[in-house]
Amino acid sequence: MKNFEFLLTAWIVVWAVFFAYEITVARRITQVREEIARLRQQLNGN
Amino acid sequence: MKARWFFTMVIAALIFLAGYAALFVAPDEKTMHAVQRIFYFHLPSWIAMFSALCVVFYANVAYLVTKKRKFDALGVAGVEVGVMCCTIGLITGPLWARPVWGIWWTWDARLTTTFILWILYISYLLLRVLLEDPEKKATLSAIFGIFAFLDVPLVYLSNRLWRTQHPQPVIAGGNGSGLDPLMGKVLLLCVVAVFCVMVLVYIDRYRLELLRNECDELKFEIESRNTQPANLGATSTGRAGS
Amino acid sequence: MTTVRAAGILLGKELRLEFRSRELLSATIIFALVVVVLFSFAFDPTAAESRRYGPGLLWIAFLFAGSLMLNPSFSREQNNETLDALRLAPISPFAILLGKMLANFIFMSVAELILVPVFAVLYNISLAGIVWRLALVLMLGTIGLTVTGTVFSAVSAHARMRELLLPLLLLPILTPLLIASVESTASLFQEQPALDRTWVAFLAGFDIVFLTASWLLSDYLLDE
Repeated sequence: MKNFEFLLTAWIVVWAVFFAYEITVARRITQVREEIARLRQQLNGN
Repeated sequence: MKARWFFTMVIAALIFLAGYAALFVAPDEKTMHAVQRIFYFHLPSWIAMFSALCVVFYANVAYLVTKKRKFDALGVAGVEVGVMCCTIGLITGPLWARPVWGIWWTWDARLTTTFILWILYISYLLLRVLLEDPEKKATLSAIFGIFAFLDVPLVYLSNRLWRTQHPQPVIAGGNGSGLDPLMGKVLLLCVVAVFCVMVLVYIDRYRLELLRNECDELKFEIESRNTQPANLGATSTGRAGS
Repeated sequence: MTTVRAAGILLGKELRLEFRSRELLSATIIFALVVVVLFSFAFDPTAAESRRYGPGLLWIAFLFAGSLMLNPSFSREQNNETLDALRLAPISPFAILLGKMLANFIFMSVAELILVPVFAVLYNISLAGIVWRLALVLMLGTIGLTVTGTVFSAVSAHARMRELLLPLLLLPILTPLLIASVESTASLFQEQPALDRTWVAFLAGFDIVFLTASWLLSDYLLDE
């Protein structure tokens, strides 16, 4: 395939960007969930 | 939870199918050959971006009218996803243009508009970072978002008028004019796949924002409880003064 | 009190404030002059080039100077919290916004009235026969600049780094205005000056769209 490296780069860019973003969002969701659980405990403890 | 896993699997399958179709099923384009296949992801990313930004406009207006935080969450999530899709488009575009036309970029109406749009919505995110008070953040970014959305057709129109007055190298968009039916089907599949991925990411980012708001509310409540000394009982005895 | 009357009174206040010290106006004019002069050093234009790039230079100078001048619009109010006092008055929020827009429009127009002849002299561009048409183009462009700029000044007044934020928010939004103004001015600077109806109509349209949006959103903008 002619110019295959351009096609490959584009393909990688598309899915890498979505994937990386989704991973960071998922990670942050877990972090925030943990913090909420911690805060709820603190609130109920008072 | 189970529904989410199911949809994630479906979308993963869609992605693989779309990728396979784009790379192997779609017929080879006459002049551009393999590299033209970037189009199968380039156009869908614009459609995804545009959809996200329309939802953002709705969210901005809805926030101003109802003042409900969830619309603010919907707005910021949409802008992030929209900027991301725009970035993908702005990267895949030149990757397609360079081998085919020998230039990475040109200032034609569509590209210029997209670039300005990208800058505008990044400014939206920057504005939010620089505003500290949460209510002001939501209100003022909603106002800016509405202005930005109104501006985009004006940017496009002005660039279009301008560029038709000054002859430009003609960039054939390859945007569906006389598209081979098989190409059309592959394109549709890719549009659906990218759109679904965008929706999935959007929903997740929206959930993250709602959770953050919940977290902030809890922190606020803890703080307000800590600043009230433990004589809440005394105020209900009805004793006046002192 | 009607909106227009309230805006008029506030306009009077803004004008009186500014003409006491004239610092904002002088700084704006000098800054725009600096941009105009720097251009001649950076590009050393010939007569033909001046005619070709002149309109662009002029409008870029106005946009930059304008976005610096618009900052104090609302940040001035924050020092003594006078904005809260204004909002307690029985006037619509749009009256406050309109008063400031009119004031900014007048300041900007005064700056332009001084700068355009200076520019014409420095770059040997004749203004004979095009003065009124040029004034129309300048007016429409300035309306767009000050309407949008005043709204964004209110937006960025609450943010950190507001001096940098305002141009950053404003200039991308104003790109259609820039194109339209430059093209209208350019067609007036030609050998056979002509008022380009399309671009002037576009400018008017731009002004109407953003003035309307400002009016509709003014309540939310100044709401605390």
